[in-house]
Amino acid sequence: MSDKTVNVALPKGRLGDKVYEMFKAAGYPCEALENPGRKLTFENPDVGIKYFWVKPSDVAIYVEKGAADIGVAGKDILKEYSPDVYELLDVGLGKCRMCVAAPSDFRDDYRKTLRVATKFPHVAKEHYSRIGRDIEIIKLNGSIELAPILGLSDVIVDIVETGATLRQNGLIVFDALFDISARLIANKSGYRFKSRRIDMIKENLQKVKENCDD
Amino acid sequence: MELNAAGGYNQRLRSLFERCGYRRYKMSKFEEYDLYASNRSFLPSTKVLTFTDTDGKLLALKPDVTLSIIRSFRGDGLEKLYYHENVYRESEVGFREIEQAGLECIGAVDEYCVCEVLSLAAKSLGELNRPAELDVSHLGILRELLKNSGIDEPSIKTAVLLFGEKNSDGLQEFLKRSGASEDCAEAAVKLSKLDCTASDAPKALGEILSGLVSWERLQLFCDTCEFLGREFPNTVRVDFSTVGDLDYYSGIIFRGYVEGVPQSVLSGGQYDELAARLRKNARAIGFAVYLDLLKPLFIEAQEYDSDALLIYSDDLDPDEIHRCAEELRSSGKSVLVMKNEPENLKFKEVYLAKKGGAKRVG
Repeated sequence: MSDKTVNVALPKGRLGDKVYEMFKAAGYPCEALENPGRKLTFENPDVGIKYFWVKPSDVAIYVEKGAADIGVAGKDILKEYSPDVYELLDVGLGKCRMCVAAPSDFRDDYRKTLRVATKFPHVAKEHYSRIGRDIEIIKLNGSIELAPILGLSDVIVDIVETGATLRQNGLIVFDALFDISARLIANKSGYRFKSRRIDMIKENLQKVKENCDD
Repeated sequence: MELNAAGGYNQRLRSLFERCGYRRYKMSKFEEYDLYASNRSFLPSTKVLTFTDTDGKLLALKPDVTLSIIRSFRGDGLEKLYYHENVYRESEVGFREIEQAGLECIGAVDEYCVCEVLSLAAKSLGELNRPAELDVSHLGILRELLKNSGIDEPSIKTAVLLFGEKNSDGLQEFLKRSGASEDCAEAAVKLSKLDCTASDAPKALGEILSGLVSWERLQLFCDTCEFLGREFPNTVRVDFSTVGDLDYYSGIIFRGYVEGVPQSVLSGGQYDELAARLRKNARAIGFAVYLDLLKPLFIEAQEYDSDALLIYSDDLDPDEIHRCAEELRSSGKSVLVMKNEPENLKFKEVYLAKKGGAKRVG
């Protein structure tokens, strides 16, 4: 492996597949990745790139700790964990919003502590401390929509893509906190020593994104 | 081996600082907790290890050296000090003891002092004998530009965070949303993309910032960049993603990176605001080298745990075993003496201790 090979952490799943297609269109294909077998890392020495799949929430950790030079992570993960990385480009994939949602008949009673169920405790804490609302965080790892239905929480703070799941469960969006999309991130030290290559990848991805937008 | 390499680097740093007349500052492991409690946001972590002294005073294991040095400054002239200390900070797995070296220049700090400190920072990285980079920017200029754009203080802080992420698209969108003036917002976005050699910086900065920030301040920074470009053409870059806490840092700010370490290994800047908070009528600039982050660079991969293993049996006198071991060591080998072959350790050679000398068996 060349010293200047750029290591890329891709998020597993549907988003990761789309991200790889974008890298491929930008001039960084990798045949090994398209026929994976049992391998865990996939290199194309001709274009100086090496990919590996990781859990989407782990991409930022791999990049921050330098195991990957760059990676693609959702803005939700970056807001929740605040990793010390560069955020070089909004790649425009995986668009959704971070929202506060609750049953349609919910009315906030300020005499009570608000119970908030979420996978994103830091995001929720930051939002409610900004508006000075006293809350109790209930950290869950999945099926967040279930919490207000069963009375575990008053509201949820979660990612909303189309809102279909919310509607099916009698929930509505009360507040949109921020827009989410996938971002190209880079390790700060790795960027110093591979900046030309990383900047080139960024520019090529930007061109692919613009072509898709057109 | 690794201890020698790390020790050698520490020694070279010390000698580098002393050649420039910096005096060693030695501090106690403990400090009064109040010092840290009132300056929490200057510290990398807000948690501090505390305990109550015999007289009831609340003490802390020092999480930082800079605060103590500034507090000890008497307020006259100029002090140039260096330190090599352990600090105690929270990590992902609890509190850790972290080794740091660095220097502080406090008092009547002038432009020469700024250049001297930056030059020592660049040389500290150079002593590692690996590809390294010192990134420099100026928080005073950045703050002035953002203030002149008309955005409020919380928005300035958010914008500075976006600078730190190199998130130019996010910055552009944020400044537009915050109602920043068009000319300053455009300059800020260009500045967030600036990443050039120190020699190229004066021209680039002039083109971006002319008329938008104080000419005198810009000129002083450009002079410093020219100096750095001449002295360290391959090490120093001007990159405005190098940022810090606006409550403490007021001028030049810098970070050092070395190939092979994923975090910045050196960090420093001008922190006149911190000196003012501690009621010191002084300017101050300094930096720290995070020696613990550098340790992996000094550890060479070792194929064997010792050169030789000498196995002995109970029927031999200690004197005879000792003689066998010393004979092997006299040829420069490292020798581990054990009754049985230990698991999980590797040796180049294995010997059996015998009367009259060691016999190689593997």
